[in-house]
Amino acid sequence: MNRQLRMGTRIKWNRIASYAVLIFIALLYLGPLFMLVNTSLKTMPSFMKDATSLATEPHFENFSEAWTKANFPKYLLNSVGYTTAATAIYIVTAVFVAFPIARGYIKYSGAVLTLFVIALFLPPALIPQFQLMLNLGLYNNPIGYIMLFIVNPIGIVILVNYVKTIPRELDEAAALDGCGYFRFVWSIVIPLIRPAIATVIVMHAIGIWNEIIAPTIYLTSKEYYPITRGLIVFQGVYGSNWPTLAAAVLLLTLPMLVLFLVLQRYIVSGLTAGAVKG
Amino acid sequence: MSYHFGRGKAKLIPYLLLLPGLLFYFLISLGPSMATAVYSFTDATGIKGAPIHWIGLDNYREFLFMGRASVDNLDALKRTLIFCVAVTFIQFSLGLLVALLVNQKLKGTNIFRTIYFMPVILGAVIQGLMWSLFLYPLGGPAAKLLSIFGLRSEFLGGQPAEAFAWVIFIQIWANMGITMMIFIAGLQTIPTDMYEAARIDGANSWQVFRNVTWPLLTPSVNTNLLLNIIGSLQAWQLFLVLVGYRNGTQVLGYLIYATGFGQTSGSVTSSFRQGYAAAASIVLFLLVLVIGMAVQYILQRREARILG
Amino acid sequence: MTKKLFVFLSLLVVFAILLAACGSPAGETAPQTGGSQPAQKVTLRVLVHQNPPMVAFMEAFNKKFQDKYPNIVVDMSVVNANDLSTVSQTRLSANDIDVLDIFGFANGAQPYMKMVDAPNWQQLIEAGLLMDLTGQDFLANYDQNTINDAGSYNGKVYAVNLGRVIYSGIYYNKKLFEQFGVKVPTTWPELVTACETFKANNIPCMTAGGKDGWPIFVGAYGLLGAMYPDQAALVEGLWTGKIKWNDEKSLEMWKKMQVYARDMMEEGASGIAGDAAPGRFASGAVAMFPGGSWYAPAIEAAQPDFAWGYIPFPGSDNPEDNKYWFGKYDQGWAIAANTPNKDAALLYVKEFSDPANYQEFVDAVGFIPTQPTAKLNTQIGAEIAPYLSNFRVGYEQYWIAPKGAGQFANPWASYFKPFGTDDDPQVLADKVQADLQAGLDAVK
Repeated sequence: MNRQLRMGTRIKWNRIASYAVLIFIALLYLGPLFMLVNTSLKTMPSFMKDATSLATEPHFENFSEAWTKANFPKYLLNSVGYTTAATAIYIVTAVFVAFPIARGYIKYSGAVLTLFVIALFLPPALIPQFQLMLNLGLYNNPIGYIMLFIVNPIGIVILVNYVKTIPRELDEAAALDGCGYFRFVWSIVIPLIRPAIATVIVMHAIGIWNEIIAPTIYLTSKEYYPITRGLIVFQGVYGSNWPTLAAAVLLLTLPMLVLFLVLQRYIVSGLTAGAVKG
Repeated sequence: MSYHFGRGKAKLIPYLLLLPGLLFYFLISLGPSMATAVYSFTDATGIKGAPIHWIGLDNYREFLFMGRASVDNLDALKRTLIFCVAVTFIQFSLGLLVALLVNQKLKGTNIFRTIYFMPVILGAVIQGLMWSLFLYPLGGPAAKLLSIFGLRSEFLGGQPAEAFAWVIFIQIWANMGITMMIFIAGLQTIPTDMYEAARIDGANSWQVFRNVTWPLLTPSVNTNLLLNIIGSLQAWQLFLVLVGYRNGTQVLGYLIYATGFGQTSGSVTSSFRQGYAAAASIVLFLLVLVIGMAVQYILQRREARILG
Repeated sequence: MTKKLFVFLSLLVVFAILLAACGSPAGETAPQTGGSQPAQKVTLRVLVHQNPPMVAFMEAFNKKFQDKYPNIVVDMSVVNANDLSTVSQTRLSANDIDVLDIFGFANGAQPYMKMVDAPNWQQLIEAGLLMDLTGQDFLANYDQNTINDAGSYNGKVYAVNLGRVIYSGIYYNKKLFEQFGVKVPTTWPELVTACETFKANNIPCMTAGGKDGWPIFVGAYGLLGAMYPDQAALVEGLWTGKIKWNDEKSLEMWKKMQVYARDMMEEGASGIAGDAAPGRFASGAVAMFPGGSWYAPAIEAAQPDFAWGYIPFPGSDNPEDNKYWFGKYDQGWAIAANTPNKDAALLYVKEFSDPANYQEFVDAVGFIPTQPTAKLNTQIGAEIAPYLSNFRVGYEQYWIAPKGAGQFANPWASYFKPFGTDDDPQVLADKVQADLQAGLDAVK
């Protein structure tokens, strides 16, 4: 009884300390976010007068202005298309690269992994990549633009590390049951490494979604613009203003926030029970 | 490493399925990067139809040894290393701490997790906008806070050392969510009965962490260390959106971007110098490669020792 | 479903390899009709940089143009000014552009310079990517000097420049000047007194869009100009060693620049976005705003009834030295040499160059016209007019740093605290000269 009581208070202190740390750090995140939201609800003159004052009379016109000026509805659809297509192709190819490497099912798997690890270090190759796309006839072409984003070495490394946590015995058992390689990876491994895949999807999709340089260079027809390219109307050299820009970026970021909130459940749900061995 | 899914030709299936990923990688990533390496020995402008001459090591000589500019370049290199060490150390520790905290059975951990991951979703441009607003020196929140103590600062636009420190802070702020997420995913692969067993053996929290959590987290530790090191060595976007190209704050990644895009100083007309920019990026590549490979080697040996 | 995906992937790979083997398919259908309007429908691709009043004008102009020539559809894309040179280069390389916005030709290599690279416009011409416009009838609408200075190379014309801008002036708030009985300054001591008066009354003296970096030091280019009115000679002097950044005269400039950065510029100016500065000035909170003539439309848009004036930066103690404008040739038009829509492109530039259209353009953007018949209708035009005959192309349009020069080899007021680390003019002057000298020695 006595001991239990002591335990109880100790745990409580633990909790309070944990919450204190978590809340303190959270404030560092929420402060700037709040500032952004607040700014998006102000007019430029009121921002100039006092940057931090609360937007007591929310000025939602910034959002409607951003929506129409940046041609959101159309470019949003393009962005969704690019992000989905590139992420899907990437994830599928990456799993089939990562799995045999992690298992050693191909010769020189160590060397192949090293090859991909080197990719992490590679310098940006803007102009050669541009010339490649030009020569492939994929300049100013949605397929070419998608192709720019189907390589991501970080994802491979993450997937390899996760596949390693799945017991090898599973492979043997599946093979004994007559399961083929492709079907095994597709319908057994992929669900098992769902947390890793969710993480990689989020990281990869966000990178494509927020890309600002590539669309400026590779997509010159307006019908192909992604939403980040449309935002340029707010980044004028001489005339934009912060409140509208803040509203525009909040609109821009919403779809990715939804994606994350949906996938977070998978990331958090952890590995399927029973398939993990310490 | 035996393959269970058939014999003979069936053994080739993994190779076949691996091929698309490998080809894409060669085509889109490795190929152009190798072209960059070739460019670095030329005076290429990047303009189609312009003549290209082989100039040997001239670009490297200019970048590393010519006049005072090369001293500035080496300063940028030194700054890159400082940035890397500071960011990696803090981001790794903080990410681990936060992951451990939110992995407890506490209410609201989901919310905290989402909050910390938020900047990753926003991307560099919005991160930059948020902090430019927060650090707005004409009455922004941070300025108001300082004024309570009678202090003032230009923050990102003032003293280079201070601006640089802010970028370090914001880089950590922006990417800590990824580090945390990878740690959480790693923590969740550790079976709960391991903890219970340790508890039954009478281990305290520290001992449990030391003997169960830390060793079993090795894959996540490796991934995070490598990602943090490489990411911080190559970082440039936050420098662009937060401070611009300013003396005393440049790191190599930003220097390369600015040279390649001809954005070193406002309104001046510059020339296209892809060859020179390529040489600078190869220097960064070699730096990152050497450091990254050394770390990778150490980590793999450690992993082999711990996980057997 | 999985099969489909796999087939798609394989196709993609095969497709890519095939295309690589076939080389670059240009795939353009060129309607080569002589005369003006093409017989078939064509799309004319136009590239401009982001500048809101200009973009607004262009959209209206394009609409009018399409109504007049229904066979031409104008597809105009807008990029940030910082990306203009990169995008021009990629789109010209891809032959994906017909008419492009190009800044006035500047920073050409001079005979006394050693080991300098050709500026980007020259690189584009030498690669054969810009069309030779020599002899086109619309050139006659423009001032011959402009054609020579800002759009010609080796005796041929490659661009028509659409206007000059001034960056050496100071906007001042008329109401505040009247309220505190401050005389509009014509010399440096008067400027110092004016600032002291405002500061004593708790009004910040000057603002600038310091978030973008360059507005702080470009704001003091007028000071540089007043010290060295012959800016081309200044550049030559620096290259040949006749002028040093730490000689007596330069030291006076650095001392003044320190006063400018430390005492005149308002606290927090480094956080103001470049495009927010006109709004801050127009709000009436600040007495002066050293900035380019291109800000005038933004100031007017922010507060239409705000009373302002524009004067040359009084950087010299001698009022006669403070009667110059320094600036540059801004935007112009060039045509891609390989355009499949040559007729439509020439027609577009010709239509734009029509004096009536051109007048509307300069009125909208506040440029100093390069067509001699155009009038300065705007307020900024009227403010500029008294000294317009004293317009000079500024220092940084001539300057090319020698390779190997350090990062401090520039006459930038922003090296001083609070924007930089320096607080001793002599120490800074020596550092700047040493950084320049290192480059001069390296290219000897």
